[in-house]
Amino acid sequence: MIQLSIDGREISVPEGTMVVDAAAKLGIEIPVYCYHQALGPLGACRICLVEIEKMPKLQTACTTAVREGMVVHTGGPAVEKGRQGILEFLLINHPLDCPVCDKGGECFLQDYSFWYGSGKNRFEESKIQRQKDYPVSDYILLDQERCVLCQRCIRFLGEYVGEEQLMLEGRGVHTVVSTVEGQPAHSPYAGNVIDLCPVGALLSEPYHFKARPWNIEREETVCSVCPVGCASLVTGRDGHPVRLEGRPQPDLDDYGFLCDHGRFTYDFVNHPARLEQAFLDGKPASASAAVAAVGERLARVVEKSGGGAVAVLTGAVHTVEEEWALAQFARESIGTSRLAVLKPVAGDLPLPLLGTYADLAAATGVLLLGADPYEAVPVMHLKLRAARRAHPVAVWGLGDRVLTRSTLPGEDFVAEPGQVAARLGVVLGGEALDGRWAELRRGLLETERLVVLWDGADPAAAALLAALAGQRGERPTAVLPTHGPRNWLGAVRAGISAEHAAAARILEDAAEGRLEALILLAADPLRDFPDGDLAARALERVPAVYFAGWFAPEPRHALSAMLPTAAWAEVTGTYANMEGRLQVAHGAAAAPGQARPVRSLVTALARAMGHPLRLPDFDPFQDQDGDRIARPAKQPAESAGAPARPALPPGEWRVLTGDMVAVSHPPSEIAERTREPLPLRLHPHDADELGLGAPGGLIEVAQGERRFVAGARRDARIPAGRVFIPRGLADVPANRLDHGAGVKIALADPVREEVAAP
Amino acid sequence: MSNQQWPAEWRAWAEEVQATFPNATSSLMPFLHRVRSQQGWLTPEALDAAAELLGMTRQHVDSVVSFYTLFRTEPTGARTIHVCRGLSCMMAGADTLMENLEHHLGIAEGQTTSDGAVTLLEAECLAACDLAPACQVNLVYRGPVAPDAFRELLEMPVEEPPALARRAEQSGAQGAKGVADRE
Ligand code: SF4
Ligand code: SF4
Ligand code: FES
Ligand code: FES
Repeated sequence: MIQLSIDGREISVPEGTMVVDAAAKLGIEIPVYCYHQALGPLGACRICLVEIEKMPKLQTACTTAVREGMVVHTGGPAVEKGRQGILEFLLINHPLDCPVCDKGGECFLQDYSFWYGSGKNRFEESKIQRQKDYPVSDYILLDQERCVLCQRCIRFLGEYVGEEQLMLEGRGVHTVVSTVEGQPAHSPYAGNVIDLCPVGALLSEPYHFKARPWNIEREETVCSVCPVGCASLVTGRDGHPVRLEGRPQPDLDDYGFLCDHGRFTYDFVNHPARLEQAFLDGKPASASAAVAAVGERLARVVEKSGGGAVAVLTGAVHTVEEEWALAQFARESIGTSRLAVLKPVAGDLPLPLLGTYADLAAATGVLLLGADPYEAVPVMHLKLRAARRAHPVAVWGLGDRVLTRSTLPGEDFVAEPGQVAARLGVVLGGEALDGRWAELRRGLLETERLVVLWDGADPAAAALLAALAGQRGERPTAVLPTHGPRNWLGAVRAGISAEHAAAARILEDAAEGRLEALILLAADPLRDFPDGDLAARALERVPAVYFAGWFAPEPRHALSAMLPTAAWAEVTGTYANMEGRLQVAHGAAAAPGQARPVRSLVTALARAMGHPLRLPDFDPFQDQDGDRIARPAKQPAESAGAPARPALPPGEWRVLTGDMVAVSHPPSEIAERTREPLPLRLHPHDADELGLGAPGGLIEVAQGERRFVAGARRDARIPAGRVFIPRGLADVPANRLDHGAGVKIALADPVREEVAAP
Repeated sequence: MSNQQWPAEWRAWAEEVQATFPNATSSLMPFLHRVRSQQGWLTPEALDAAAELLGMTRQHVDSVVSFYTLFRTEPTGARTIHVCRGLSCMMAGADTLMENLEHHLGIAEGQTTSDGAVTLLEAECLAACDLAPACQVNLVYRGPVAPDAFRELLEMPVEEPPALARRAEQSGAQGAKGVADRE
């Protein structure tokens, strides 16, 4: 520890700390532009000048490491004059157009100018004009005139994300930020540069000219799009969310980075497909009439056949408090224990193994078990890269396709489709492993702290993960489940079972005619349940399906009633992310139309049933483990194998599936501009053989009588003979295909006709 | 380096500069200078080659190239004339010299004659104020060049970038001499 004094106060900090961070610990703010803790020192902007005794000139606090006995003054005439001079230079060519700048009021150039600036411009020459709305990406505009060349944006994308898509161009006063080779930046993390830019140079295109700081409400929230649950700020204006920003959480070492799938889809709450109106038997109805009718019908079923004739499935996207209200309603008002979370995967994570983001940051080895974090849970990919920047981390990919990538290099172990868990079992069994697999075994068992990112697809992996933890003995093993729905752990906290078997039993009961009514809270079994055929049979057979939520599932004629509920950003409540951390999100917008919070919906339904429901306050925080949900104690586990799959006849392809947040995010008009037209993936050699062009084209996927057409892209990370179909895709429902059998693939008809045309 | 698509010469240069400058970023400039003096300007392929052969990103190469005015990324004439526009040279008539050249060649500063023979550029102080107005022809100093004596810049013999000379030979054009001969 190094002892030093800043502004007359003593502090001791670890060796290597920069003066700027030491001062921050004392609550002393030193202005910075180029410095950011995630990126490290650069020393490009000079605004952080401080006076250090025994040093002849002012020093930059962001590049000067603390020394024993150092005496630092962060204020005083010399420092102020220095900063004033720097600001004068920074403003020489600045257009001073704060009145029309989106960041006016949220800008460090403004703030520091107020603190240190001279208020007068001595520079009389005309200013250099540059581009005012340079499109950096589909979502980002750059005003080159306002840029102070701090390089945060360039370094973030280049060094932190590893996707070099921005650069400095030119020299001296002609220097500008631009994109590499004039190509728009396309990294899914590019939107973070809007938050990082300390001035009004990088702007959000969807938020451009939408509001001024005094028009808005800016509330703490968490992103609702995937299970990472990134801390963020939502901006509401006139009852609508108009912006999502990252929210740093210093005590969790989280810099508040988001991905663009989350950052630019907040408009889903006002999407035209949003359910804003109640429907009863296919016809629009007032919410109160619909609720009264549904309540009465439910009461009749319960009276006639008992509460057990009604089942409830939740899509687990509402707050923990709302899921709890639903559970109370199911148990007390209806009297059913058929209540479960609808998950898109069949695997159940043994909760004692549930890890944390802190485990990931400290990991020495990471196993990607079926999960591609970049596509499924994008910010986890960033967290992994950040861990790697701090210390060496071995990364292994074990799945039915390649899971590492150039920005996250590691060793890949590609298993036969459906054999991922079986492979893991063989590795843990340890018999007759050849070279590489033996290496994997040694790595998994011997790495000091192991974290597994598991996609939850293969149910047999659950017991193997427990066995792996057992074999590792004292060495910590943690699992982070990358599958949705985004608040499934919150539903677990609310007392709802998230076991696959529980949801499967409900759908089986429905398909066999043992249910008289099914209530869906934001659940879409046909789209999400792993066995889509079972879901279809269930929905056909059950006499009444009542849906409440944000987006009604297709086919809507199968729904006896649709009741709109308030969505994310419209209620204040708690969500649990994939590490089980409970995070409070505040409302900043008004629920549209007849949408109302689940809590009022279920109390109204209960009243209409004639069993008024009293909901006491529910506090999801349990307080025994910080703000994470409690984990049960570890149980000894046995390892299990998985059945081998028969070989395919020639000419048939194996189906692979996985999560892709670019496909599964809620419908968004903003994100429409980057919608993936080619969501399926094939190996380039296979694509060549099919005659598929570059980067891809339409293909037909057929199994038995079923035929689907969708765009497919060439991707060398998919092994030959396999086709990757993301989960939840409407065009090709992966859950309606039998993954054990093969599919046939051909160029889609329109393409063939085009080729055939003279 | 694994990539065989680049000219053998470039690959050899890359190895050579890397041996001299073990720090990858230091080897970039010498490599680019060689390619530039060979072909007169830096083609997009040359930038890709630099990135790949020296193991850095295209982003880094582009940033460095854009910083230096001598690294041109547009087709450049076999004879490149820099006219100094610094204070001493301006006072000695550099702007008239530039105007005369522009009139004579029929191009503006920054442009290249349509036959690809001459590129006309301005320069900041060439650090040769005693020679004001000072010029460079293919980086060879010349001065003082009286505004009326501009022709000597077009006639003085210079070494051409080998790649351009080769191209001129192949196409039967007359290279740098073209303009002078047209008189
Ligand atoms: S655009 Fe913003 S973040 Fe990027 S260099 Fe300029 S001021 Fe810095
Ligand atoms: S990683 Fe997930 S939670 Fe985080 S911003 Fe992206 S979509 Fe939202
Ligand atoms: S913040 Fe210290 S030099 Fe930029
Ligand atoms: S001003 Fe022309 S050489 Fe100095």
